[in-house]
Amino acid sequence: MNTRQRWATRIGLILAMAGNAVGLGNFLRFPVQAAKNGGGAFMIPYFISLFLLGIPLMWVEWSIGRYGGKFGHGTSPGMFDKLWKNPIAKYLGIIGLAGPVAIVLYYTYIESWTLGYALYSLFGKLPQVPQGADLQKINEIFGTFLSSYAGFNSDSTIFLRPSFFAYAIFLMTLGLNVFILARGISGGIETFAKFAMPTLFLFAIILVIRVLTLGSPVDPNVSVLDGLGFLWNPDFSSLLNPNVWLAAAGQMFFTLSVGMGAILTYASYLREKDDIALSGLSTASLNEFAEVVLGGSIAIPAAVAFFGLANAKNIAASGAFNLAFVSVPAIFSFLPLGFLFGFLWFALLFFAGITSSLALTQPAIAFLEDEFNIKRKYAVIGVGVFIFIFAHISIFIKGALDELDFWVGTFFITFFALLETIIFIWIFGPDKAWEEINKGADIKIPKIFYFILKYVTPVILIVIFTAWIFQNFGVVVKETSPGKWIARIFLISFFVFTGVMVFIAFKKEKKS
Amino acid sequence: MTTGGWIFLIFGWGVVIFLVLYCMKKVFEKGTGFE
Repeated sequence: MNTRQRWATRIGLILAMAGNAVGLGNFLRFPVQAAKNGGGAFMIPYFISLFLLGIPLMWVEWSIGRYGGKFGHGTSPGMFDKLWKNPIAKYLGIIGLAGPVAIVLYYTYIESWTLGYALYSLFGKLPQVPQGADLQKINEIFGTFLSSYAGFNSDSTIFLRPSFFAYAIFLMTLGLNVFILARGISGGIETFAKFAMPTLFLFAIILVIRVLTLGSPVDPNVSVLDGLGFLWNPDFSSLLNPNVWLAAAGQMFFTLSVGMGAILTYASYLREKDDIALSGLSTASLNEFAEVVLGGSIAIPAAVAFFGLANAKNIAASGAFNLAFVSVPAIFSFLPLGFLFGFLWFALLFFAGITSSLALTQPAIAFLEDEFNIKRKYAVIGVGVFIFIFAHISIFIKGALDELDFWVGTFFITFFALLETIIFIWIFGPDKAWEEINKGADIKIPKIFYFILKYVTPVILIVIFTAWIFQNFGVVVKETSPGKWIARIFLISFFVFTGVMVFIAFKKEKKS
Repeated sequence: MTTGGWIFLIFGWGVVIFLVLYCMKKVFEKGTGFE
């Protein structure tokens, strides 16, 4: 049997976990959600969600992971099997094993765009915006550039035609992921996180300082302070709207990257008596710093300062991709040394992306190592080849990326978070769960969290999941296109395949 | 930016900066490695 690897340092583990949590959403989704849902007043339900949902879920996932690691299981099928003595438990865990791999199939590709754009920016290859161009013209220039980069402008109804550069950068990004993962938990993931996370924070701080010192770059009546005002001026009437509370809870859920299975696997490399209370809280805090302080002070304030309040509202409404790959590079192109700021922007997004894709790939590797005794080198190569082959679905098939994201990036992670909380708190038992969370704790967790974990967090998750199904499910399921059906058939096949692998693994375990 | 905006900005930034500083202080007190 392979000897399970361990994290070398606690600070390395915290940075790797923070790397998993900090993603593109911190810099793109949060400011848009806050501006749309009451500005400063949004922070009230947001912080309530942090304490009632975010931090408790962090502790739940860290505890399940450490508990499973004690038995040599690094993924949810084995962990659920130990928590709940029911034959179905391990099969419910398939979601936390197949889900993250399916996310990586499109996430790595998006991540590679940020690397491609960082290089384009550094070498001055991004489009130049003519003096006096309005927002419509800018959208046209950068939108066309993105379309030709990713091949959205293909004439085919089924296939996309990305540029050769986009494909080459994807291969490079996947290769880098495989290289880091092959070096192991401590030598690869931890070492990289110790470099990538401080660099990400440094780049973000430089950009925040640049944005906050923009003054009034275009219109003397509109300054960057108006941009901060757009995000922070409170609209208290929004607190009476239940959708605002739902949006805050949803943002908290997505920003911490819970429900994906990655935290479980990372935590499985802890020792039985290692602290998780303080480390889990530290991870959540670093993520919140990246989101509230840094994420809220770059894209949206800059967009208001350059394009005015009305246009910024349109930019915010046009979605995260538009903000990242169209509006922000256009803004930086107006500034002296704009190529450098553009590079810092895309490089920080790349670091946010790669630290997350490493975490999402690790569960599949851990499964092969733990359950089939496959050497890490071969497990990494096997998973890398799988990702290489099936990532082509999201690279080349129209509509497949969005479809995959709907199911594994939204539906299954919400469902999995609900599932693991119920299994850990209600089935494993609240007292045993509380004891597990507090084992080796370096801080004393207030007793009120026992009641929050037992009653409040599961109920919030049920509400989020139900409301989310009510709002989205019917609409998405009715959508049909060849690309969407290819993605759906792939997902069903992949989950069945993972189920068979779990069956074989546990048959082997039973025999031995 | 209204006064309310400033209050909420200071509140939001304050909460997360406090959390980060509290956690980092504790982590460095208890040790950044594993025993």
